[in-house]
Amino acid sequence: MVIELPAHVLTDTRLVSASSTRFRVNIITSRCKECGICIGICPTKVLVKGSKHNEYGFRYPTPANIEKCIGCKLCEYNCPEFAIFVEVLGK
Amino acid sequence: MPSGNSHPLDQYLRTARLPHIWCPGCGIGIALGGVIRAIDKRIKEGVLKKENVVFVTGIGCSARTSFYVNFDAAHTLHGRAIAFATGAKLAKPELEVIVIGGDGDIAGIGGNHLLHAAKRNMDLIVLMITNFVYAMTGGQVAPTTPLGLYTTTTPHGNPEPPLNVVKVVSSLNANYVARASVTHPLLVEQYMYKALGMRGFRFIEILSTCPEVFGRHIGVRDPLTLYNSLRSKVIIKQSPSIDESDLDWEKGLVIGEYLIRDNPSFLDRIKGGSK
Repeated sequence: MVIELPAHVLTDTRLVSASSTRFRVNIITSRCKECGICIGICPTKVLVKGSKHNEYGFRYPTPANIEKCIGCKLCEYNCPEFAIFVEVLGK
Repeated sequence: MPSGNSHPLDQYLRTARLPHIWCPGCGIGIALGGVIRAIDKRIKEGVLKKENVVFVTGIGCSARTSFYVNFDAAHTLHGRAIAFATGAKLAKPELEVIVIGGDGDIAGIGGNHLLHAAKRNMDLIVLMITNFVYAMTGGQVAPTTPLGLYTTTTPHGNPEPPLNVVKVVSSLNANYVARASVTHPLLVEQYMYKALGMRGFRFIEILSTCPEVFGRHIGVRDPLTLYNSLRSKVIIKQSPSIDESDLDWEKGLVIGEYLIRDNPSFLDRIKGGSK
């Protein structure tokens, strides 16, 4: 018997990324524990609360407003789970 | 490996063990990230070798750090991490031994070892992650709990003034005493980077958040709210005096570099007489 999973349960998205012309924000979804520090700490509100769950049942954030990113890396430094990293793509 | 699709710190972490055991919003992960970034900077400078870094931890939430770092590590008895680290350093002096513990482990159970390692100016880095309670055992009052706060064992407010570990260690023979906070992770990295380039006994207290146990009793259960309330209480000073270092939840918690000295360490003394 095949159990149908509801649509909000993710299948395989270990890495959720979004990039503007200068920065790429990557979220390793399986490490997230939904503490919300990254969402609260971001000075330009790039990250918003997500609706999808990871395999442990936590709703990871999504970099929805990536065009506002200024590359301060506060989310990377303040993530207790080593789940977010920011790459600089170009000047 | 920093580029591509892996976290820049993945080379120093046992990624197969992640996600780690700490509760959502726990500050230990932020503190560990800052510490590993400082080690990474020193390794890239060529000052430090990856195989010479040793983590020694005792018992407690913050002692679980030795399970997640990809360095040599020892998980020892409750409070005896400094004693174990002293032995490791004396047996192999080229090691850079880093002791991580909570306030209950380092200041409470292992307080005597802390005093004597600081008295000897033993070549160790001791990081005390202060979350103000014994969190793993259920939130009992710790030596560092500020006056008047609620914990599991003080339902009418803590009647005892807290132990100021920064002041205690400063009164002994330590070479570097600083206090950082997880709400300012770049300062954790900066102090750790500085400590890695020094000799003798280096002590860094890192104020941390514990939303699950500490926050629940003081009425701030949400990780972000507790993080912001600790952030609003932290006062950064460039060179604070030791008299300002008292842990006072109402007036604020002063962070900064309290003491920088370059006295001969224990290994200098036993190797080359009294330099």
